[in-house]
This record gives sequence, structure tokens and C-alpha cells, in this order.
Amino acid sequence: MTEQKRLLIIDDDPDFVEGIKSILDGAGYNVDVAYNPKTGLQALQNKSYDLLLLDIMMGRGAEGIMIARKLRKDTKLREMPVLIITGIREQMAFLFPGEPVHPRFVAVDELVEKPVEPKILLEKVSTLIETAEARQTKAG
Amino acid sequence: MNRKEKIIIIDDEEVVLDSCTQILHGHNYDVSTAPDGMQGLTLVENIKPDLVFIDLKMPGIPGLEVLEQIHNQDSTIVTIVITGYATVDSAVEAMKNGAYDFLPKPFTPDEFRLITKRGLERRKLVVEAITLRREKEMLQENFAAIVSHELKSPLGAIQQNLYTLSGEIADKLTENQNTKLERMKIRIDDLIKLINSWLRVYSVDISKIKENFTANSVPALISKAIENVEPHAVRKDVRLIIGENKQLPLIECDETSLVEALVNIIGNAVKYSYAGSEVTINSIEKDGMIEILITDKGVGISEEELPYVLSDFYRGSSNKSDESSHGIGLTISRKIVEAHNGTILVTSKPSIGTTFCIRIPVMKGDG
Repeated sequence: MTEQKRLLIIDDDPDFVEGIKSILDGAGYNVDVAYNPKTGLQALQNKSYDLLLLDIMMGRGAEGIMIARKLRKDTKLREMPVLIITGIREQMAFLFPGEPVHPRFVAVDELVEKPVEPKILLEKVSTLIETAEARQTKAG
Repeated sequence: MNRKEKIIIIDDEEVVLDSCTQILHGHNYDVSTAPDGMQGLTLVENIKPDLVFIDLKMPGIPGLEVLEQIHNQDSTIVTIVITGYATVDSAVEAMKNGAYDFLPKPFTPDEFRLITKRGLERRKLVVEAITLRREKEMLQENFAAIVSHELKSPLGAIQQNLYTLSGEIADKLTENQNTKLERMKIRIDDLIKLINSWLRVYSVDISKIKENFTANSVPALISKAIENVEPHAVRKDVRLIIGENKQLPLIECDETSLVEALVNIIGNAVKYSYAGSEVTINSIEKDGMIEILITDKGVGISEEELPYVLSDFYRGSSNKSDESSHGIGLTISRKIVEAHNGTILVTSKPSIGTTFCIRIPVMKGDG
């Protein structure tokens, strides 16, 4: 890896975060964590990340959806790849009603279900980052 | 909480309206009156009363029709008919039309107070019953979210840490220790799958999968299902034998769901098999349908139990197997197969074995 990629995890379950963070740390990523949507959004405003790992069911309901909606509206953040990690695949259709289960709410995103095997997690993360970079180069 | 209960009296005799209002005066009621059916109905619409008294014999719209229209507006409103000619017939007719009770004229103030009180109590019960039913429905609808968060999240966190931990220390552990970790992962995985099955039963409208049908080959679906069941079969020392399937036509299906159904049924066959026995899976084309036969040589199902195995939440009562079963896998499988315009049949002989037969129509133009 030429430079260390920066990842942000927004998830309110510290135990789960611990699980995926150490996989990502081990693979050489620089990982920040926000344990609620609010600090998550602040982190996104203050720093730039190569990828966001987003939980949907947080707090009193599907607060992750709020973040997803904000990202979609933000021209800059819209370009950041997002890996949605959720326990509720079947409810994902409510994320953006009328759209298919797989959200595609930003340019590059993907969905995995909790828990996720380390190998799959790392594959998805690197593929998403590469795809987003290829898009940027093409556009730039 | 201390809401005034609303009462409407519809009667063409002014003296009745006056005296009734007088009788109820001093109670915590909000009483309105109307001299005929038409005005009465307007009042009902505006006030949304708890209780309505209706005179059966009035000029204009007949009392019975007023009654009917009130119930069409809101079936929870309690109605009591006042009848001047206390014939059983008209009272019975009114009760048939949904009136809660009837009050023959002339009546005493006490009679009127009593029947008012009973009528309002009735209304309270009706409203309470509806609230309870709604709560139950809400709970059912939200069950998915509740279960996801309260049960799945902790399990997901445990599993995630196990994955990570075993990745980090696998090379430092003995084979035996690694097996223990694997066993933990498998059992947690089973739990997560169980919760997912519950979620499907409670919250997913299986008929909706029809919207995502694609062309698939049955042998490919079977292999995917086998992949899932195999570890379990190996642990139980049950051999999975897949019959030779010649070129079979494609079917239209939702791949994920149909594989899930197959996993459930093949998994079930393994579950109720004796160690060292085998489960065979054959698929053939017959009369425009693909027939998938899953046969085990296991404990079998008794004749009395057979009709129930595919119904909601049935759980085998035979204790011949030490396996736990979820009792919903087969129900879901049946629903999935039916959503594919298919059928599922089960035949069984105790101690000899069970055969599940899934039939799904061949895709149009591929027969």
C-alpha cells in the first residue's frame, strides 16, 4: 500500500466496532470511529476519508438513514465510497422507498450483513476504494 | 383522561329529548339532541359520539336506516334504539342491525340512566379492545426492528469478535483449540439464522419475492443449498447424494428465497437422519414442472403428525432426535414454494424415512 487509507466507522455498538476495527487496523488502514450519528457527521465535515463504514440501526431507530440522506445531498461526500454494514437487510428497501434493496445512494456503495467475515470485509473495503478512485481519475 | 363522554339522542318528540337531557343533567356527559334522522346523522359526523339513542319511528329517514348509516360511519359507536311500540320484532331487527340494546317507551329516569351507563361501558370496552388489537399489530410490525436490535446486534458483535480473534490467533492455537472456536462460530451462526427465519415469518411479505424472479437452473440452486447444509451433514455423518440430473429446463425464481427453502428442507432431512445414513436429492422434469425430491432414511413422521408439518410453528414431537428444531423453517419453505406457484408435498413412514417433493413450474419457453 503506497499511502495509508483513512476509514471512518459510524456505529453505536462498541463491541461490534472493536471486532471490525482490529481487522482493518491489522490490514494497515487508519481507522477512526464515531459511536453516534452526530459525531460521525462532524468527523465527516472535519476530515476527509477514503471510505465510510456505516451502520444503519443506531440510537432510537434507523438513524444511519439520516446520514445516508445527508451524504447523498452533499456534492463532495457523495463521491466517498460507503460500505453499509447492517443487521437488517430486509428493511433496507425503506432506506429510499421505491428503490431496489441494494441502496446505491451514493456513487459507490455496497452492503454487507453483520457479522462479516474478515476476508469479505477486507475485499469489499479495498474494492470500494479502488472503484471510487478509478471513478475520480476518470472524471478528473 | 377526564374526557366528557358524548351522547346524542335522536327523537322526533321534543318532550323525550327534553326529559332525557334533563335526566342526564348533572352527570359528566356531553348531551346533544336532534329531532330527525338527517340532522342526527350530521351531528354524529361532527361530534363523533360515544353513544347514540335513536327513536325507531320517526318522520324522514327511518330509524333503522339511521342506525345503519351510523355504523357505516364508525362501527365503534354504541347505539341504543328507543321504541315507542315495544314490539319484540322491531327491537330484534334493530339489534340485528348492530344496535347494542333497546329501550321501550315509556321508561323511568332510572331505567334511562342505567342503560346509558351500560351503553357507555360497552363503548369503553369496544375502544379498549381496538386499542389492544392495534398495539398487537404494531408490535408485530415492529417485531423485525425489535428483534434485529435486541437479539441480532449482540450476537453479531460476538460473532464479529470471534471472527477477528480466530483470525489473529489461529496459528498460535492447537487444532483442537481451533475446532472449539469453529464450533462457537457455527452455533452463533445457527442462532443468527434462526432469528432471520423469525424475521421472515413476522415481517416479510413472501409473496413480494415474485417481483424479482430470474431464470435459474435447478441443479445450480441445489448445489448452492448443499454448500450450506454440507458442514452440518458432515458433523452428523450423513451423506448427501445428488441424483444424476440430465439437462433440466430452467425455472423462474427468486434465487435467494428458493435456495433458502431448499436449505431448510435438506437441512431438515439431515437433522432427522440417523448418523451414517444418507439423504438423496433428485430432480426431474414432469408434466411441465420440475420436481425436486428430497428423501431421508430418518426417524420419519407419524401419520397423525404428517398434516401439520408444513403449518405455522409446528415442531416435531418425536423425541427420537436430539436435534433442536425451529419449527418455522418448513412453514417458510412452503410459503416460498407457493410464491413460486409451486407445491410442496410430504410423505413419510415412521422409522423408514421421509420424502419432500417440491414442484415448480418450468419457465415459459424453456420446456
